[in-house]
Amino acid sequence: MTIGSAAVAHNRRHVGLKVGKTMSNDETLEAIPADWLAEFEAAARRPLKLRMKYAFIHTYKPVLDDAPYRSFETMAEYRKWCNENLPDWLGYGSI
Amino acid sequence: MAAFEYRQAEEIRDVFALHGVRYLFIGKSGAILLGYPDTTQDADLFVEKSQLNGERLAAALHQLGFDLNTQQEADVLRGRDFIQLKNGPFDLDLIFAPDGIETFEHAWTRRIEIEGFPVCHLDQIIASKEAANRKKDRESLERLRAFREYWRRQRP
Repeated sequence: MTIGSAAVAHNRRHVGLKVGKTMSNDETLEAIPADWLAEFEAAARRPLKLRMKYAFIHTYKPVLDDAPYRSFETMAEYRKWCNENLPDWLGYGSI
Repeated sequence: MAAFEYRQAEEIRDVFALHGVRYLFIGKSGAILLGYPDTTQDADLFVEKSQLNGERLAAALHQLGFDLNTQQEADVLRGRDFIQLKNGPFDLDLIFAPDGIETFEHAWTRRIEIEGFPVCHLDQIIASKEAANRKKDRESLERLRAFREYWRRQRP
């Protein structure tokens, strides 16, 4: 379980939103868990500057934060590096 | 390194505009600009891969205060697929070829402007996370898809 997954698990009483599924607007909103919907609506009432203040946090991430610069020729190389070098709990590894 | 701030997003927007850099906010930072309530650590930018845009980007990064050596500047000019910068006033990930998005041009045509910030469409942010298929993305996708439904409903 990674950071934030506990909150996601808490919200798993969700009927499932599928890409391309045809639903009316009301049905669509009803399909969203009430606590998520409340969070979306609260965020919509806040100005962008305030939303960003709440959204961006900094916590030290081992390995990832230990070099001032990295670059990868391809995304596949980057994913491979993440899989091989980062702690699993950071969640950067491919499934 | 302190957390990324609105003021720094403004600096990116203004300096990139001054240099004519073609880019989009992507990833969770892009979703947050679109109104998605969540937390993240740094800004992710999807940058058009071209010689001219690379030159403009390098100039803009220097102006923002990123300390790029010759090799790092060459990486930016070439548009290596993924560049992680922690050698400037804030952390920045530059992505020239995000998973799940075919071309920059297509993403550009679908961009959303929020207070002057060019942001990748939520469909493409989600497609990118689906294609990356990382554990941390898998855990957040369900909520992000729910937000897309809400966001679609709210848009004029």
